[in-house]
Amino acid sequence: MTIKSDPNGIDIATERPSDLDALNAKLQAAKARRPQDKAPSSNGNALGMAWRLSTELIVSVLVGTGLGYGLDKFFETSPWILLVGMGFGFAAGIKAVLRTADRMDAADANIPLGTDLPDALENEDDL
Amino acid sequence: MANDPMQQFEIKKIFDLPDIAGQDLAFTNASLWMVVGGLAIIGFFFLTLKGKLIPGRMQSLGELSYEFIANMVKDTTGPEAMKFFPFVFCLFFFILFANIIGMNPYAFTTTSHLAVTVFLAFFTIALVIIAGIWKNGFKWFKIFAPAGLPLLMYPIIILIEIISFLARPITLSVRLFANMVAGHVILKLFAIFIAFLIGKGGILAGAAIFPIIGTMAIVALEFLVAGLQAFVFAILTCVYLNDVYHVDH
Repeated sequence: MTIKSDPNGIDIATERPSDLDALNAKLQAAKARRPQDKAPSSNGNALGMAWRLSTELIVSVLVGTGLGYGLDKFFETSPWILLVGMGFGFAAGIKAVLRTADRMDAADANIPLGTDLPDALENEDDL
Repeated sequence: MANDPMQQFEIKKIFDLPDIAGQDLAFTNASLWMVVGGLAIIGFFFLTLKGKLIPGRMQSLGELSYEFIANMVKDTTGPEAMKFFPFVFCLFFFILFANIIGMNPYAFTTTSHLAVTVFLAFFTIALVIIAGIWKNGFKWFKIFAPAGLPLLMYPIIILIEIISFLARPITLSVRLFANMVAGHVILKLFAIFIAFLIGKGGILAGAAIFPIIGTMAIVALEFLVAGLQAFVFAILTCVYLNDVYHVDH
């Protein structure tokens, strides 16, 4: 990009790019000044995470119990399948919560899903 | 002055429609506000349709919302899931607009009814199941049986996986529904409290300043929740769409 060094006439065609370049330089400077935040929305997400984890746990227990209740009605074995179902529901809830938490951790660390965490990250809480 | 905080969720018939299969069909206030939401979304994206090289304010909004959802789909599920982008996009904006329109006085919050949220959630899960079987055939059912476990564990794990799969549509719908209902009830209770205190007069009327501050804070929180729940619903849809593409996880 060349700027005509014409002192009095302003050439729009050459003026424009220089404006953009100045803006670009400003933007780069502003970006450099700003601290690098990897997950810009992660703070507002805390509430969403809490809701996700808690509903997953509770609803899994309810679904397990409900299935047990339905099977009990069907086989007339009340309350045995309900109790077993409650246990399975709880297990399913814990499993779902752990899986979601894993996923959130991976998202926080900007690691694509499916890759194993590096050792340094895995043992972070041992430090 | 309505003193019942649940009254705002009441469904009222606006006009009757002919019955289908013995079901009493009617155009209700919920239907009306869903139509309003749909029209608002169409109107919003009409305003963003300028298509200039250097986008104006509205065009930026449109482009940002496209990129926001597109990145969500790509990051959570993978680029191959962009086939489902229109679905996630519609879902997000329908819920977002329904929630935000519901924050207006006299408007009806359509997402505060289980009928609406359950339909959205069941449709999402049905889509996952149908697309999963369509794409993988019956191998898709392997999502219930993760590979590499001792044989004895499989009956237990499969049962657990099925329960947590069945819990998904319920968590999706109940979370959205409960958030919207809880927020609106609290808002209404605070508002009733203000009217009550002012009605008492004297020093109590002065004390009404506290619920007024509380109401303002909750309104702000509710706007956050409105956006957040739409976001959570959309991102969970993406997470569940994972099961269409990554059967052996």
